[in-house]
Amino acid sequence: MAITFKSLSYIYDKGTPFAHVALDKIDLSLEEGKVTALIGETGSGKSTLVEHLNALLLPSEGELEILDYKMVAGHKTKGLKMLRKKVGLVFQFSEYQLFEETILKDVAFGPMNFGVTPEEAQKKAVKALKLVGISEDLFNNSPLDLSGGQKRRVAIAGILAIEPDIIVLDEPTAGLDPKGAQDIISLFMKINRQYGKTIIIVSHDNDMVYNYADEVVLMSKGHVVTKKETVEFFDDDALLDEYGILRPQIVMFKKMLKDIGFKLKGENRTLEDLSKTIVKEVRR
Amino acid sequence: MNLVFGKYVPLNSVLHRVDPRSKIIALFVLLVAIFVPDSWWAYLALSLFCILLCALSKISAKTVLKTFKPLIFMMVFLLVINCLSIKTGDVLAEAFGFAVYSDAVFNTLKTVVRLLLMIIITTVLTATTKPLDLTLGIEYLLKPLRVVKFPVHEMAMMISIALRFIPTIIEETMRIMNAQKSRGVDFEEGSLKEKINAILSLIVPLFSVAFERAYELADAMEARGYVPGNARTRYKELKFGFIDAVYMLSAIAILAFSIFTKIYL
Ligand SMILES: Nc1ncnc2c1ncn2[C@@H]1O[C@H](COP(=O)(O)OP(=O)(O)O)[C@@H](O)[C@H]1O
Ligand SMILES: [Mg+2]
Repeated sequence: MAITFKSLSYIYDKGTPFAHVALDKIDLSLEEGKVTALIGETGSGKSTLVEHLNALLLPSEGELEILDYKMVAGHKTKGLKMLRKKVGLVFQFSEYQLFEETILKDVAFGPMNFGVTPEEAQKKAVKALKLVGISEDLFNNSPLDLSGGQKRRVAIAGILAIEPDIIVLDEPTAGLDPKGAQDIISLFMKINRQYGKTIIIVSHDNDMVYNYADEVVLMSKGHVVTKKETVEFFDDDALLDEYGILRPQIVMFKKMLKDIGFKLKGENRTLEDLSKTIVKEVRR
Repeated sequence: MNLVFGKYVPLNSVLHRVDPRSKIIALFVLLVAIFVPDSWWAYLALSLFCILLCALSKISAKTVLKTFKPLIFMMVFLLVINCLSIKTGDVLAEAFGFAVYSDAVFNTLKTVVRLLLMIIITTVLTATTKPLDLTLGIEYLLKPLRVVKFPVHEMAMMISIALRFIPTIIEETMRIMNAQKSRGVDFEEGSLKEKINAILSLIVPLFSVAFERAYELADAMEARGYVPGNARTRYKELKFGFIDAVYMLSAIAILAFSIFTKIYL
């Protein structure tokens, strides 16, 4: 089943002098089980779009279908709380949502809100914390004393512990060091490959997008410009130039190789793959 | 957020361009003018003046009416209290041995009109003046108090910082609320224990963010050489011009008329 936006518009402060159309008649369909990257300049409406996925925002016009839910502008949809269990949303700068006395309690907070028993919630919290790489001796510390990167991991664990089917991430690596960013991305790749969960990720880092995403959705000024397979997207020179999108370094490198007549086989999405291909080609 | 009252509305009207000092003085003059008179003539003049102000400020009638809405309950309450307590004037209606006197109705009406006029003129001020210009105006007007060692500039700085951070804190609140809703917090329903937990999940992060911001801001100000109490020049100097004088004088004229009706009518 797909996640489908049908001519969905969202207007902030509708009916006031501050009214602002943030999403303008979005038609979009995202497949489940895939990793989709959402890119576009600041203010293009990425966060607004993403907040519709777990019904924090409801469409001003048009409709959205996700899992078994259908949200139509002007109509009430029942059971939105359960939708939030199935669609986990990790916010930009999510470290600011921590509040419990201990890390473990904070991560168990989500599952408990969705009616899981305290013991069960604790189990889920431990599992999620291990997954994001927080060591066990920190479990009883205050989450407010952690470093920025660690806080972010705890916040992410707080969503993972809810065990959603769809995980939505709004710039999860913004403000992190490259290693920390890489770790978080690898984590979500693992979750996608191992558990088959749908991942929708808003990102500014095109190098990473190229490495991991199955599909890319480009937004601009409240519109969806296009949705394409990642490799195909970054091969579309006209499109990249029109919207001033930075090419991933690997794409530029491959282009240079091609220009000097070097033939490459396969997709070569990561540096690892590319080096292997080059070595193979040179050996021949 | 449906906060219309007290919010700046970015339009381009004559009133937006009037000097904040003139607008602040006019506000106080008009407030006095509203409370002095008893005569309906004065209220008619004041009402016409307020309508003129609204028209000049380009604020839609709908916006103004919206600010009245929360007051309806209070007005009804006031009417009931007055009907029960005021027993002078003519009897207007009688039922079940209970009489409603004309003074009760007129008193209520007068209070209501005063209240509405007050709201309109303050709304006109806040809607047409940027909060920072407003504090700048207040700072200028309070300058004489420096003689008695009152820290006018520091007060103004504190007020402008507070004003500057209101939208930020509101935004922050919305964001944390959304983050907690995503973790299954229900801010509308739930048992008492759940409600307390919901509030805690909002307040604790909000405080930690606010403190963090305050430290960052203090550092940033210090890094740029801010020393409280030092003499500073301004990027924006206020200039009192012709329309500013006209605006203030018309407010004073209204006050004069109010006093006139009080004495002679
Ligand atoms: N709470 C809000 N109230 C009013 N306007 C908003 C709000 N949030 C975002 N906007 C506006 O909506 C547009 C899209 O914002 P957003 O979805 O945050 O973009 P992005 O995440 O792509 O940077 C921007 O122009 C922004 O100013
Ligand atoms: Mg955003």
